[in-house]
Amino acid sequence: MALNKSLGPDYVKGIRVAEPGPGVKSGTGLNKGTLMSDFLNAYSIQRWLELCPQGYLEDTVYGHGADEQEPLIEDEVLREAEIRTTVQLVVGERAALAASSGLVNAAPDYPSKRFLATQTLDEARHVEIFTQRLYDLGVKKDDLESTIDQFANPHLVKFAEVLLEKVDNKDFVAGVVGQNIVLEGMAFTVFEMLEAGNRQLNPKFAHTLEGTIADERRHVGFGENRIGSLIRQYPEKKPEIERMQQEMSYHMLNTFSSAFEESEEARAVEKELAQEAGVESAEWQGVDLASADTSELEGALENTVINEFKTRLARIGLEYQAPQGV
Amino acid sequence: MNPTSDLGSEPDDFDPHELEPGDFRDEVYSFEFWFQAVDGYLRDRPYGHSVPGREVTLEPSRREALITTLCNYCVGETAALEGASGMIEFAPNRHAKIFLATQVVDEARHLEVFLHRLADLGVEDPEAEIVARANPSLVRFKERLLEFVAGRDWDAAVFAQNVVLETMENTAFRAHETTADPVTAEVLDGVIKDERRHLGFGENDLGARLMREPGVRSRLTEIRAELDPLVLGTFEAAMGDLGADTARREALGREYLTAIERLGLA
Repeated sequence: MALNKSLGPDYVKGIRVAEPGPGVKSGTGLNKGTLMSDFLNAYSIQRWLELCPQGYLEDTVYGHGADEQEPLIEDEVLREAEIRTTVQLVVGERAALAASSGLVNAAPDYPSKRFLATQTLDEARHVEIFTQRLYDLGVKKDDLESTIDQFANPHLVKFAEVLLEKVDNKDFVAGVVGQNIVLEGMAFTVFEMLEAGNRQLNPKFAHTLEGTIADERRHVGFGENRIGSLIRQYPEKKPEIERMQQEMSYHMLNTFSSAFEESEEARAVEKELAQEAGVESAEWQGVDLASADTSELEGALENTVINEFKTRLARIGLEYQAPQGV
Repeated sequence: MNPTSDLGSEPDDFDPHELEPGDFRDEVYSFEFWFQAVDGYLRDRPYGHSVPGREVTLEPSRREALITTLCNYCVGETAALEGASGMIEFAPNRHAKIFLATQVVDEARHLEVFLHRLADLGVEDPEAEIVARANPSLVRFKERLLEFVAGRDWDAAVFAQNVVLETMENTAFRAHETTADPVTAEVLDGVIKDERRHLGFGENDLGARLMREPGVRSRLTEIRAELDPLVLGTFEAAMGDLGADTARREALGREYLTAIERLGLA
């Protein structure tokens, strides 16, 4: 991108962090006023190694405990619904892998390249663990791609295409907003909802999601802090980026809408089984996940994601653009 | 991660090369396998070394030479980082994409440990030093590699990156390790272990490709003819920076040519 060429290695020197990101705990030194170069150093490979593979992923296999198994799902409607949901996760993570790896070459400084390298491997791990879940649900290895083609939500595919167009153009600022704020913000919220809903019913999947949530939190934190300073320096980029966010949000909301519509039958079976098994209610964003119908769930998810977008976009100096015609 | 869980109860007996090709890819080109591989030699080695107190004071001329060498390692590792990350998009399958993602982190780590070593040596602005001290042959090599990547030319990119560049680095790092100060030697040791894995991927990928399509060999031979002078030029300048005599310069070049010849790909 043209902008990238003007951003030399000196760019990060002297720039200060606006606010600590959501993945940044207090006491890490990444507080308001921290030098950007120091902030980026805290997203180093060494820190990632200690925090992630040697930290919360220690003693896990494909993101869950070694002794945890996917519960046997005898009901075909339910099994297909689980496969359908997991396919969307694989599609989203494949897009995230393509985007984060594609942005390494567009990054204006070494620390950003190194952070995006860790994100690239995080996203590859997510592709791997969700693909493994498809196998655990009974998808045969030879049928993987056809299963993904069959169940991939067309709106989610379009959502990814909007992002990857920016990445292909080496537009670092738009690419990071699309990837680390919009895509990761959506994934983060969806994973939180799925994790809450599976904590009792499927601890293996819930634990798999816990690790990805921790990863996504870090990615969103980087996006907010790194891009905020670039947006302030290049305010002329705002309209184009807001248009991208609006388009991605349009496809995201349509993805949610058709996903919940397709899951109505499975939801009814799920509620019945949960009732029979005496599963305790799990609450997420004020909604009882065990008893809520699909429209309640969809409403809660949409509101949560959009509120997250508004907050995060405001932090980097952008205004959330509501999509038209949804 | 549990290093034994996927490998059965006797990991020492496990040889992935005994697996069927599909199972081999599932096993080896995975995050799980990568972590098992690196954890042994990276745990408790922040920034690639574990030796507080082993730092030695270098003479000014030796320190200066080491800074130039490390700056050029950074050029090579940046090439590898940008090359590997760019190749993910057009990698032919999921396994290759996931392997390359592990390589991206490896290359970024190498860049980080070399930058960290430069900081240890008192270099205040490593990025400026890298630009100032970069070897023109190596810079040209990087440009050529990234042209292959930009052209989505898989065979050429794998060959340039995972065979030629990795062999060049392996040759240079191994030679350097024998004469380096203890901290630099330990940093290089971890990097060499990673590079072997990357070279293995290149050999496997291109080896299988040549079995299916022997005609690809002539293309690789052409690319090699173009890249070898850049590699040898890099060695020549690097040895000059280190004040090596003619015999040592020639030996390094020969070692690279022998290593790449032994692979039998071009």
